[in-house]
Amino acid sequence: MSFRSIAPPGGVLRAALLAASLLLLCFAIGAEAWAHNVAEGDKGYIQESSGILFWPFVYLGAKHMVTGYDHLLFLFGVIFFLYRMKDIGLYVTLFAIGHSTTMLFGVLTGISANAYIIDAIIGLSVVYKALDNLGAYQRWFGVQPNTKAATLIFGFFHGFGLATKILEFEIANEGLIPNLLAFNIGVEIGQLLALGTILILMGFWRRTPSFMRHAFAVNTILMTAGFVLVGYQLAGLAAA
Amino acid sequence: MFNSQRPRPEDLPTSSQLIRATALAAVAAGAILVAVVLPSEYAIDPTGIGGALGLTEMGEVKLQLAKEAAADAATGSASAAPAAQVASPTATAAKADAPQRSETMKLTLAPGQGAEIKATMAKGARLNFNWSVEGGRVNFDTHADAPGIAYHGYAKGKDTTGESGELVAAFDGKHGWFWRNRSSAPVTITLRTDGAYSDIRRVV
Repeated sequence: MSFRSIAPPGGVLRAALLAASLLLLCFAIGAEAWAHNVAEGDKGYIQESSGILFWPFVYLGAKHMVTGYDHLLFLFGVIFFLYRMKDIGLYVTLFAIGHSTTMLFGVLTGISANAYIIDAIIGLSVVYKALDNLGAYQRWFGVQPNTKAATLIFGFFHGFGLATKILEFEIANEGLIPNLLAFNIGVEIGQLLALGTILILMGFWRRTPSFMRHAFAVNTILMTAGFVLVGYQLAGLAAA
Repeated sequence: MFNSQRPRPEDLPTSSQLIRATALAAVAAGAILVAVVLPSEYAIDPTGIGGALGLTEMGEVKLQLAKEAAADAATGSASAAPAAQVASPTATAAKADAPQRSETMKLTLAPGQGAEIKATMAKGARLNFNWSVEGGRVNFDTHADAPGIAYHGYAKGKDTTGESGELVAAFDGKHGWFWRNRSSAPVTITLRTDGAYSDIRRVV
């Protein structure tokens, strides 16, 4: 099969601008304000609370996933060419095993990597997956890297990112483990909700004859977004 | 592309399946919004589910923190300039020969209320303190500020019944404690201070 034709530049440009503005919007929402050095919002709530708070942490985990554009972009890349429920279930499970493991490990041991470096690697995971979807590894190296292993390994990195954020939240020791498990359950629920939405939208899109034609352009945009994330995090590392 | 098969049309969901899935998603999203998101973010809880799960309380804390941050930002921008002029003569006076003084202050915090007491100290000045809580526990944040320094942290804690120690001023400025009562009953805090500072008062 060959898919040399791509969407007309006008369409690509429009889609790229949309993607860029959505990313910028996400960054703007991430900004925080301070009073008495007490953070507002979710972070403020976590810093001021202690004890077992099961449902609030389920909510926070789900919210983190649904609003976490980096995880969403990676998931989007992973399921781009998956449409059988069996395959989707397998890949999502691999990703969940990966990020749950390192998230719990990171928080319980207190080992945190530099947030900028981890988030830059997460950006790279998006670039990697977009290139994989474009068939770049087969074209360049004549091999197809194991997509299941890649999903699991990048899952480990995404989990370290989650752990680093939770450590920043200064979560109380009292009720730590139940709260972490609740957070993790929330992450899975959020992942399912986000995935459901992506799958429905992609379902409509896949049925159009232009899907394969647009697939090249969209994975190129996905890769662009991944590079933006890498650059954003590396710039943050340099400025910090 | 190269690493996947083009899906056969019969493997893809049908239009009616997709439309049904969309409708279901919209209904589910509406239910999640009303039962979970509104209580968690804005303490709006029409179904009572948020209250039962402890989500409404999270929404209340977030709203309160946002309100206080807005109030802080408003007073901060209004008083920034005059504060700088007033603060410097006091700080130099304190530095010359810091008088030793001691005080006991008491304050009562309603549930959810926060309070702050700060002492004016010169760089390197020492202050012994001891505060204790009657009727419950509080969260605290021991910190300092000065013109140009918005926040300098010494210590922080949650669910504490009291603390004592020595505070060594990291710079000329105001140094003290912020407490918050996150319990459901009022608490009384007694603060005893003893050391080299020129002015101590409740600021919040």
